[in-house]
Amino acid sequence: MDRRFEVDWEADLKQAVVEGDEIRAAEVAKQALDAGADALSLLQNGAVAGIRQAGDIWHAGDYFLPDIILASEAYKEAAKMIEPLLSPSQISYRGKVLIGAVEGDAHDIGKNIVVSLLKCASYEVVDLGVDVPLPAFVEKVRELKPDILGMGAYMTTTMRGMEEVIGLLEQAGLREKVKVILGGAAVTREYARGIGADGYGGDAAEAVELADRLTGNT
Amino acid sequence: MGVMTKLTKAMLYSRGFRLTELDGFERLIAGIYGRPDRVPVIMQPYTYAMAMNRLPARRFFSEPEPFIHASYNTATYFGVDFWSPVFDFYNIELEALGQRLIWHDKSEPDVDTSDPLIKSEDDLERLKPPISGKSGRMPYVLDSYKLFMDIMELPPMCYCCSPFTMAVLARGYVNILRDMRRNPAFVHRLMEFLSMEVSVPWIAKMAELTNSSIIVMSDAWASQPNMTPEMVREFCLPYIEKIIRETSTSMRTVLDSGSWGERSVKDPRQVLDIKMDMMLPGNNFKALRPFFLLVWNEDYEETGVPMVRSYAKEKKVCLALNIRPDLIEEGPPETIVETVRKLIKEGAGKGKFILIINLVPLGTPVEHVHTLMAAIRKLGRYPVALDLDDMALPKPVFTPFEDWLAKEGLPV
Repeated sequence: MDRRFEVDWEADLKQAVVEGDEIRAAEVAKQALDAGADALSLLQNGAVAGIRQAGDIWHAGDYFLPDIILASEAYKEAAKMIEPLLSPSQISYRGKVLIGAVEGDAHDIGKNIVVSLLKCASYEVVDLGVDVPLPAFVEKVRELKPDILGMGAYMTTTMRGMEEVIGLLEQAGLREKVKVILGGAAVTREYARGIGADGYGGDAAEAVELADRLTGNT
Repeated sequence: MGVMTKLTKAMLYSRGFRLTELDGFERLIAGIYGRPDRVPVIMQPYTYAMAMNRLPARRFFSEPEPFIHASYNTATYFGVDFWSPVFDFYNIELEALGQRLIWHDKSEPDVDTSDPLIKSEDDLERLKPPISGKSGRMPYVLDSYKLFMDIMELPPMCYCCSPFTMAVLARGYVNILRDMRRNPAFVHRLMEFLSMEVSVPWIAKMAELTNSSIIVMSDAWASQPNMTPEMVREFCLPYIEKIIRETSTSMRTVLDSGSWGERSVKDPRQVLDIKMDMMLPGNNFKALRPFFLLVWNEDYEETGVPMVRSYAKEKKVCLALNIRPDLIEEGPPETIVETVRKLIKEGAGKGKFILIINLVPLGTPVEHVHTLMAAIRKLGRYPVALDLDDMALPKPVFTPFEDWLAKEGLPV
């Protein structure tokens, strides 16, 4: 295989991801793999490089949330094609995140955005969904041993459940084994600090930065 | 006294013709046009009223009498200047179109975003406009407004969902982002349908019933960073202008409000300019009608009140700021007083300034709300006191809500 040709696939895929073009990203990934491109290199130098560049543009203030959401959609389409070809040892995660909206809260838009960005940042994410019973968070922490537990509340009525979960983690002797981060429209930095969480993400990008910091990936 | 007389009196007062004392409604109007006797405060009693009056969410959000009586009881107990009968206004039109809602015991119902109304382009062609005023919970809204008018002898400030936010909720956020890139013509068809077949008839129905002078289309999804300013300009503003042209009159303001995001862009004026266009498209409609530029606490706490105050002054519009809900909830009372002092100092100026209690979180001690109101009443007097920083505020004395309710409240 001509080395220049391989590099072009990666550059094309990176470009498709940066531009948030999920159809093009899937096409490029398929064509590249059909042409014999190395799956790991395509993922890392194409899709992952693309989502990182999109993240850099976002941090510079030149991308808005829609741009980063569409970039993550493009990344997902490419990853869907490439990842099945990798062996488990070739897929490395920055950490495992367990996430969900607390009991009584059915708002999923913000949480889904956080999940997308965490996955794009190479985190293994277990999404418990919405309206998650408070004890279920604790059971899943015990079972899955995540590095981070992320909880979202979008209503002041449901926000109090987060404090209860932290209390339940303490009772179960699990609090020291997992970092707890909070987010959602109802939650504030002060509230998160007040109930003993390890961090607060004001938006999806901040949630990823927070995860990097707490897992030592910065 | 008739509404027109009140409006005239308030407008004269705001320009310096101070013949008699103002009541709460007159203070609000005077505060929108100029300088009243003190900074006016509007409340949206909402779920706090539901909890204080011990109502289940299903009744509060579907039965006019308990909803209006509970809201009245709560707003009157705290002595706010004016209150808006605020329900889950993002859901009404969508529910009337057939969108499934999820109901909760202690909070407002939500659109089921896992099952959006418009899953494909074909779904739009199949969609039938609601029978305005009759579909879904539209009768609940209209009957609630009727009750409000009976009790208050004033028209309510009416609320509905902006077509742009409706489009995002009906289609799903990621889907509509894709549509805007790949199939903008479809988004325009969707916006045209929602604007002209849903919003315009619904606004006309509310206006016909209430003769309200302010009808607000709430537009949370036209906010940054959820949307780019370019997206809002291309897909939202042209339709807002159309609706305003169809429904505003010389005495009625229809405006798009409730969006945010000044803190999320490099130049906050970019968002403020959009907000102005959402009220006064092309600046062609400015007349005697009431307008207010609403800026949320998350934004003004970052940009600073002086920045938004200066912008509002330059545009000659009233500035409306909400009070941070978790401040009211968590207090302590001393912090509430200091926050009000700062807002008055930086925002009140010579008038055209109102404060909004948009949300009191459930569980907030009533003492905090009484403290807030006492602080606004004392510190918010015009002209703003030269010794504002030194003015002390005694702890408010108040009757427990249950006792007040037994004597002066309406049954729920």
